[in-house]
Amino acid sequence: MTPEAATTTLPAPHADDDPTMLRCVDLRKAFGGVPVLKGVSLALEPGTITALAGENGAGKSTLMKIASGQYRPDAGRVLVRGQELPTGNARAAHRLGVAIVPQELASILDTTVYENIFIGREMRNRFGWLDRRGMIREAAELLSVFGVDIKPTARMASLPVGLRQIVEIVKATSAGARILLLDEPTSAIAEREVERLIGTMRTLRDRGVSLLFTTHKMEEIRSVADRVVVLRDGGLVVDAPLAELSDDDIVTAMIGRELEDLFPDRTEPSDDVVLRVTGLTVPPKNVPLSLDVKRGEIVGLAGLVGAGRTELIEAIFGTRQTVSGTIHLDGKPVKRGRPEASIAAGIALVPEDRKGAGAVLSMSILDNGTLPRLSKFTRAGWLRGASRSQQIGDAMASVRLRSRGLDQQMETLSGGNQQKVVLARWLTDSVEVLLLDEPTRGVDVGARSEIYRIITQLAASGMAVLMASSDMPEILSLAHRALVLRDGAIVGELSRAELDDPGVQDRIFRLASGLNDAAAAVPSASLSEPSAPKDATDD
Amino acid sequence: MTDTQIDDKQRQAEVAQAPAAGEDVRRFSARWFGDVAIRYAMVIVMVLVIAFFLYRSARFGTVDNLTTILVAAAPFALIALGQTLVILTGGIDLSVGSIIAASAVFGSLTAKAFPDQVWLALGTGIVVGFIAGAINGLVVSVIKVPPFIATLGMMTLASGFAYVAGNGAPITGLPASFNGIANTQIFGVTIPVILMIVGIIGLAIIMRRTAYGMRVYAIGGNPLAARIAGVKVGRVTFSVYAISGILAGISGVMLASRVTLGAPDLGVGYELDAIAAVVIGGASLLGGRGSIWGTALGLFLIQTLNNGLDILTVPSYWQKVIKGILIVAAVAVDVWATRRRSR
Repeated sequence: MTPEAATTTLPAPHADDDPTMLRCVDLRKAFGGVPVLKGVSLALEPGTITALAGENGAGKSTLMKIASGQYRPDAGRVLVRGQELPTGNARAAHRLGVAIVPQELASILDTTVYENIFIGREMRNRFGWLDRRGMIREAAELLSVFGVDIKPTARMASLPVGLRQIVEIVKATSAGARILLLDEPTSAIAEREVERLIGTMRTLRDRGVSLLFTTHKMEEIRSVADRVVVLRDGGLVVDAPLAELSDDDIVTAMIGRELEDLFPDRTEPSDDVVLRVTGLTVPPKNVPLSLDVKRGEIVGLAGLVGAGRTELIEAIFGTRQTVSGTIHLDGKPVKRGRPEASIAAGIALVPEDRKGAGAVLSMSILDNGTLPRLSKFTRAGWLRGASRSQQIGDAMASVRLRSRGLDQQMETLSGGNQQKVVLARWLTDSVEVLLLDEPTRGVDVGARSEIYRIITQLAASGMAVLMASSDMPEILSLAHRALVLRDGAIVGELSRAELDDPGVQDRIFRLASGLNDAAAAVPSASLSEPSAPKDATDD
Repeated sequence: MTDTQIDDKQRQAEVAQAPAAGEDVRRFSARWFGDVAIRYAMVIVMVLVIAFFLYRSARFGTVDNLTTILVAAAPFALIALGQTLVILTGGIDLSVGSIIAASAVFGSLTAKAFPDQVWLALGTGIVVGFIAGAINGLVVSVIKVPPFIATLGMMTLASGFAYVAGNGAPITGLPASFNGIANTQIFGVTIPVILMIVGIIGLAIIMRRTAYGMRVYAIGGNPLAARIAGVKVGRVTFSVYAISGILAGISGVMLASRVTLGAPDLGVGYELDAIAAVVIGGASLLGGRGSIWGTALGLFLIQTLNNGLDILTVPSYWQKVIKGILIVAAVAVDVWATRRRSR
């Protein structure tokens, strides 16, 4: 457990004289004709932490994927310590010391921590056999440098996501990475794991590693970054030391003045309740949930990851089994746990995981549009011809789908257009209740504003909309009313007036995380010291 | 309220002008020829293979030889059709060869017991096939055993029953009426060949034009999305295994009738040729991609090769080598084409 031993594999502090570790010059990239990066340049100095901030779809992930060689830019260069990175070559990036820890970790869950750390460069003894004992010893030393108490022989799957992430970071840096790119490192981990992560990042910075991490959370930027780069809509809008920026500067840069443009005006909902959920009990949390949604009303569901928003939506739609409770639509009961019954009653679902659950990518737009309304588009089992194309074509036109025609394969559409199909395919028949789960995740800004407009128009036309979202501005600007979930229970309800309150983000955050006193609500206060051993024991 | 469409004439005009994602390939450019060549790679290979055999052998192109190819293809065709449905859902059915054996033996026993009611023998084959297929379907869709394992078990089990029923020996001395099933000609074509042709055309239309066909494609392409769209995934999954079993059952009786023997080793290894035909026809073993026409093409390519190489007296061992290369090459071209498209 001696730190001296660990430094032999970790990069030593300030080993290199070359001033700039990573330099991106005028990077440009477009997907399917939609520009995602519009000429972004930035430089990472050794021993610094740079926050790459911006809204969803600003181009943060694309920038990181180009810098780590996963994407080839349409134009621009990437220099690693003065050496040009052959673009689109992930192996070359790795060799030059650029490592990325992606949002979705690529850990091998069925193996142990030390096996994950040493995969691809296993230690061998003099007979050429695997030196397991040596690897375990080395892994323990590496982990101890970051003050995290992880057993090298623990199975990866048994660790919480936050610790897996730290193992991934240890793996990358022990393999010689000097430039570490962390894509949304805090998006999927618990609040107390964030502290540990930040401690790890500081340790690396003190050893001369350059870190770039994406985030859209102010408190994380404040607590750890030296420099802030803000992207908006594919362009660089701010690149300055943190000390020179106020919170307002950063937020304004991130959101820009397009916040008003992004969200359309709401219309007033009517008074009659369309969807009434009473005492719906969803495993595994088994808290009875009740809620109403009125005709023309958009109700937002806020909460942290794992709060039970998706589970609630799936339970209402019927793709998730429930223990008890009732669902009424226009006063008529709907069978629980039966998607086909919900569809017949007029409930539609746009799921969170578009590629995993929303669309059948191997089928055409026309067939995806047909699937949820098969009985409408068939006679005695036989598909109708012209009327089917006509109606689905109309539905797709109503959301301004950009496609080469209804025969185009789903998989060749952009994310935003796929989402439009997943939504519009319900519109060939009357929809009473529209359930949306993260409707704009992974959708570029242009398409996002269109999706917001569609949602608002659908509500105005009389649908009851229930929308789960992790995107705070989305809920604040679209919803007539918001419900906050924590641990599977509804812990708060905010009216439109309350949503307009300036301190509302803080209030939602406190409700969602269960922090009640003001002091605890400011995470930077508790983030200043990494205090890993205390935390590691309580998982 | 029912008016969920957002009417807007002006917007629809914009849609028409909106740039489409991705670019169109100019006609008759090198890229266009490349795309066409890849898309119809198997058709081109088929044409080349036929041209080669026609050039090398005078006998290959005769009507007699065409009949030989069709008769040989028929028992494979029925199980390849069932196999296509199963593979489209993302499953696999390894048991069809053994179901052929069981159906042949039980069908032959029935024929001997009731020589005057020959259709009873066919009925027995269908029932045997349905029972085996239904068990496959239930084990896969209800208990959620992986299809490979479930049908591997059925493959062994059905084969075991085939041997048990005949005490390990082939059923001989079949009545002439039974032998007539596969050898009766209607307009100069035998019944199995007619079944094959009707099966291919009928199923191709069903898969393209009915709700059922769309459901099969959807659950293979994305079972979760299909469920959210209200498709009863379990029922459809059950049905494809049941259909595959029934087709194998029919195939077993036809085969026994043609060879006038209810042998418990009939159909051994046929499942692999059926899977090969489906895969050569462009289907993905992951489900959601493939077509009946593709399977028919793959089937006739294999049968044409078998026949042509026999005529040219290529040793059967070398025939195996050529078939093996063909299977892998077909899938390699497909993978390559998919990657090219998504770039």
